[in-house]
Amino acid sequence: MAPLVYFQILSAALFVIGLYGVLARRSAVLVVMSIELMLNAVNINLIAAASHLEGQGRFLNFDGHIIAIFVITIAAAEIGLALAIILRMYRNRATVDVDEINLMKW
Amino acid sequence: MSTVTENLYLLTPEFLLAALALLVFALDLVLPESRKTWLAWIGMAGLTALAIFSVRMLAGRTESLYGGLLAVDQFSLFFKVFFMGLGVFIILSSVDFVKQHLSHPGEFYGILLFSILGMNMMAQARELVTAYIALELLSFSLYVLTAYARGNPKSNEAALKYIIIGAFSTAVLLYGISMIYSVAGSTHFDALAETLSSPGQAGPVLWVGVAFLVAGLGFKLAAVPFHMWAPDVYEGAPLPVTAYLAIASKAGAAALALRLISEGLVPAREVWPHWQIILAALAAASMLVGNLVALAQRNLKRLMAYSSIGHVGYLLAGMAALNIGGGMAANGIIFYLVGYAATSLVVFAALISFFNQTGQEEIADLAGLADRQPLLAAAIAIGLFSLAGLPIFAGFTIKFYLFAAVAQGGFLWLAGLAIFSSLISLYYYLQVIRQMYIQPVPGTAPDASGHGEEPSHTASHGQAVAGHASETAAAALRTPTGMLLAVVVAGLVAVLALGVYPGPLLEAIERASQVILPGI
Repeated sequence: MAPLVYFQILSAALFVIGLYGVLARRSAVLVVMSIELMLNAVNINLIAAASHLEGQGRFLNFDGHIIAIFVITIAAAEIGLALAIILRMYRNRATVDVDEINLMKW
Repeated sequence: MSTVTENLYLLTPEFLLAALALLVFALDLVLPESRKTWLAWIGMAGLTALAIFSVRMLAGRTESLYGGLLAVDQFSLFFKVFFMGLGVFIILSSVDFVKQHLSHPGEFYGILLFSILGMNMMAQARELVTAYIALELLSFSLYVLTAYARGNPKSNEAALKYIIIGAFSTAVLLYGISMIYSVAGSTHFDALAETLSSPGQAGPVLWVGVAFLVAGLGFKLAAVPFHMWAPDVYEGAPLPVTAYLAIASKAGAAALALRLISEGLVPAREVWPHWQIILAALAAASMLVGNLVALAQRNLKRLMAYSSIGHVGYLLAGMAALNIGGGMAANGIIFYLVGYAATSLVVFAALISFFNQTGQEEIADLAGLADRQPLLAAAIAIGLFSLAGLPIFAGFTIKFYLFAAVAQGGFLWLAGLAIFSSLISLYYYLQVIRQMYIQPVPGTAPDASGHGEEPSHTASHGQAVAGHASETAAAALRTPTGMLLAVVVAGLVAVLALGVYPGPLLEAIERASQVILPGI
């Protein structure tokens, strides 16, 4: 089996790509998608760690798989909520550009 | 699997709370529009009953559920009763506001009840993923409540900023959890402590994990440098929701952080000093930035937001001073949360009453409030004096107790900085009080401040400079309605009682903190 660190590097790369997307994207929908990438980085990390811990001879460690399912579920709910709020924004202001959403500053 | 289910009945208060929230949702469908206020009363009655029930059922018990995922002990009991009590007062102070400004009242109260359920679970969680799910229950409810004024673009913008930064911070928190899990093989708080103190396992991966965890919690607590969302969200959210965010959600996150730090970081004696320094740095930055930026604010909600960032700084200072055998800091933090909640309730209930009658929320709009409505002005003034930490009021006792604990915990400089920033905060609180007591009523000549004006809606002559001030702006205001008055009076009694005679509460708090930091 490939060493755990490969998966950690993959996960870190995905996390950083997501982070870049959150900071650089101007559409709120794409920002939400980038957050989704960060959460998927978490899932890779969890599942790789779970199978690695299992391979190490520790007793069967299912925690990682279970946590990943929780993360997927809650992320789906979060995206639903975020899209609802973005839709509301679009109805009120006719834009989802995060640079133009600046009624309040400092 | 008897170990998993045998003491499930200990969660009865939580099941009943969820049932109560669902009941409110269901009744919302059948009640006619004119009777929606009943839902608020059902919610309050249910919360009160549940608080009493939890005390009768759980007092003196220390048990652990689901193989250590949840702890039903004196700490969680204290916070449960605290959160449910706060819920009663928040609902009480939002009834009028919801009736005047918001549609769909039933869902408002139902979601509020779910967020209280989330906080109850946060106080009981002893495992990171359980804590995360409870935190998400709270956060999701808050996102919806923030967006509740549907036609108001500010509320909308606040909710969008809140959910993006909230989801982002959740991702950071989860990444930290996944790192910790990959090293420790478990997400229990005590496993974290064990792994941190075993030299073979504690490597960079674990440290990065804990750092991400602290950053994620910092976002939820709105500690500097993770505070950027707080002022915008506080300003845009409907006023009772702002009060709820400032008081309850902060207390929920603090309860979680307190248990996590006491059970997960403090027992790892070798590395805890390093984290103490990081927490102390966060605390110092929060105090200074929160209080200094508050000086420049014009909007009351933004002022309260920056002031609450400052108060988070004090709480974090207490957390940095946590130590084995040093339960005083834990007591101080819990005591601070209670005192801060009572004080903020007074201020926010008075502001809600003011907003309901005038629709204004700038500091300048408060000008001459002492003449227009002396009771409101006095309540806000007492609340602000208490927040600044002047004696007789709760603010002094809680600050004295917490700062003494911080100094005793080896952070004398941090305690000094806290006192210094309290002094800064006095300046901007006094600015508000100056508006209310010294500035004339807008639209009237400075010398024409009428004493004991009749509460009539006589139109004032001349337009106010502010432009948006309506004709009634200068008229005397009505006294707060019964419900808001009840909150203000209860809050004032609590503020004075905690300021003069905090003994009984401190005993309860000591019982609570002994559970998470044994060996006092």
